[in-house]
Amino acid sequence: MVATSRHRTEPIAASHDAAVLHREAVWFARYLVDAVPSDALIERYVRADARVLQDAPTARDEAVLAFVHRHPWSVGLLDAGTAFMRGAPLLRKKLVVMMAVLEATPDHIAVTAPVEDAGMARLVWRLGRAGAKAAVKLVVGSALCALVVRR
Amino acid sequence: MSTDSVVDAIIVGSGPSAVNAAYPLVEAGLTVRMLDVGNRDSKYAGLIPDGQFSELRRTDPDQHRYFLGDELEGIGFGHTGAGAQLTPPRQYVCKDTERLQPIASESFFPLQSLAEGGLGGAWGAGSPPFSAADLAGFPIALEDLQPHYEVVADRIGVSGTRDDLMPFLGPTFALQPPVEVDSNGEGILRRYATQRGVLNKAGMFLGHPRIAMLSREHRGRLANRYWDMDFWSDAGKSVYRPKWTLDELKTFASFSIVSRRLVRSFEERDDGEVVVTAANVDGSGTELHRARSLVLAAGTLGSTRIVLRSMGHVDRRVPIVCNPHSYAALLNLNTLGQGVRDERHSMAQFCLVHAPDGHTRPFTVGHFYSYRSLLLFRLIRDTPLPVRESLTIMRHLSPSLGALILQHRDTPSPTKYCSLGAGEDAPLEIEYSLSASEQRRIDDVEAEITRGLRRLRCIKLKTMRPGHAASVHYAGTLPMSATDVELTTSRDGRLHRTKRVYVADGSVFPSLPSKGLTFTMMANADRIGCHVRSTLRA
Ligand SMILES: Cc1cc2nc3c(=O)[nH]c(=O)nc-3n(C[C@H](O)[C@H](O)[C@H](O)COP(=O)(O)OP(=O)(O)OC[C@H]3O[C@@H](n4cnc5c(N)ncnc54)[C@H](O)[C@@H]3O)c2cc1C
Repeated sequence: MVATSRHRTEPIAASHDAAVLHREAVWFARYLVDAVPSDALIERYVRADARVLQDAPTARDEAVLAFVHRHPWSVGLLDAGTAFMRGAPLLRKKLVVMMAVLEATPDHIAVTAPVEDAGMARLVWRLGRAGAKAAVKLVVGSALCALVVRR
Repeated sequence: MSTDSVVDAIIVGSGPSAVNAAYPLVEAGLTVRMLDVGNRDSKYAGLIPDGQFSELRRTDPDQHRYFLGDELEGIGFGHTGAGAQLTPPRQYVCKDTERLQPIASESFFPLQSLAEGGLGGAWGAGSPPFSAADLAGFPIALEDLQPHYEVVADRIGVSGTRDDLMPFLGPTFALQPPVEVDSNGEGILRRYATQRGVLNKAGMFLGHPRIAMLSREHRGRLANRYWDMDFWSDAGKSVYRPKWTLDELKTFASFSIVSRRLVRSFEERDDGEVVVTAANVDGSGTELHRARSLVLAAGTLGSTRIVLRSMGHVDRRVPIVCNPHSYAALLNLNTLGQGVRDERHSMAQFCLVHAPDGHTRPFTVGHFYSYRSLLLFRLIRDTPLPVRESLTIMRHLSPSLGALILQHRDTPSPTKYCSLGAGEDAPLEIEYSLSASEQRRIDDVEAEITRGLRRLRCIKLKTMRPGHAASVHYAGTLPMSATDVELTTSRDGRLHRTKRVYVADGSVFPSLPSKGLTFTMMANADRIGCHVRSTLRA
């Protein structure tokens, strides 16, 4: 785990540190598809992060990411907490990058491909469940996010 | 360096307008030299295996190379304007343009091309011909274009049919039968059939689009195989690319192409020759090419640059028009939760016309694309929900999602213009804004279309306005004019105040109706090519 003080004081460029990005890849894949990604996918995430996310992070991004690094369980809540924020928060961008990596491989196709014939009843149930989960996460996540950013 | 032989015609560019202007000249045995920068995709074409999109996703371990790009260029943030829709295998079409064709603007960020085949290497192949109403204000009539529509439709292969859109898309010419509509589009068309009376009364009509995509084998190209890979690969050559015509041109002895050349300017000499100055983009220095006539087809912005520079018009404003463009993200309730066929093509599934005043007055045209053939992360990126739940929702909704892409008509105005500054590498400066009344008309039309869509059981989730230049339909800089005015062209495409310089791309369209211009531009380029042929023979 990365020490708090380090993240408070160092610029986020430190998060381009390969070891940190490796860990992020694992946390993010677990969150998104409930699976540990292969080494090849982790490498791809590390490369994508470095290439795609080159903007300097804001103080808010730094705080959110530092918290995630210390408490990986919080990824989902902070993802929800930042979903409505303006200017595409870095955590969300990183999750979308990981999502792209996970989609462009046969490894996780069963949980990333479109569901084409769910039937109306199952569709309504699944969408309702996802919507309810999202709503709860948005409430808890927004509160957590406010705390993390204020600290 | 000076190239030795004088050819009958030099054509600048190798995009849709250039190859179609060249064809009648080359066919007649006239010597034609094409000058083009000619960037190519050297990476992706060979990487993409043959097969269905869904099958490749299930089986190809290297899919990330073309779906995301070797440089991960397929994962982008923040950029929604012109070109945001280009997949990694198509991005070569705009390579080098920032450096070699600079633009200075606060309001207009166009997509340009220095590729072999131009933007036609990535276009959506929507090919609606202009109707008589669309040509209002042009110094040419539909009858002038009609024979060239026929020729070009056969050359490039256009599919479509006679249906409710006939009055808006004009008479049927060398059409192939329509390509199949996918499950998503079919659901909406079925609903349309039950609501036709009410919708038609409100001025809304649906039907098959005209697409430059084959439903039958033609000129050595295959019928679409419904692999849903048309955004990524040209395997089978079903979708028209100017490269297919270029390959045909190369089989003629009288045709030659000199690539890696950036044309800077031209000069007409008293001895009847046009001298063209071109820079070698891979080296330094320039070379001169000589011809009895010159046809500029470097794309509207490319040709405009060359003309303004050649004629010494520093900071002189010329008009520009471009279809205002919006996407409506739609959820199609007709097919929600139902099975869908994987076999489909990726292009427009149906065409929608909004014509409350009938086909003789201006109307608005849209094309519906299903959200298939792309990965979901692009949708997830734009959804304000936690990524994980967004994935679940999009996995279930995406088979019934689509986008209605609208192109609104555009006419010149004092707030839409471009000019070229002094200096060899001066940027083309462009200013573009819509007046309040133009914007109001667009909003009103979109509101009426949204009401019609509801009757079709399509819910609009979001409207996206990706910026002024995003339609990639640029025109009107050197408009055809019946009177001999500087920086305009004659009805035959000759640049006024010149004897042998012609313009064959979108520059010559005085305005843009609510339709993709490229098919008409190709027909007009063929028309101009035929005219140049007869002047050269004379
Ligand atoms: C994603 C996308 C989808 C589209 N979909 C549609 C559609 O469905 N329907 C439709 O009607 N239109 C569509 N378009 C627009 C269409 O692609 C353009 O209208 C068309 O390509 C313009 O053709 P052109 O020949 O005038 O110019 P371009 O295609 O821009 O080609 C210009 C050519 O000139 C060359 N060139 C430029 N400057 C120089 C120079 N100085 N010296 C030498 N060579 C030069 C370039 O190398 C290139 O070969 C789409 C465009 C895009 C990007």
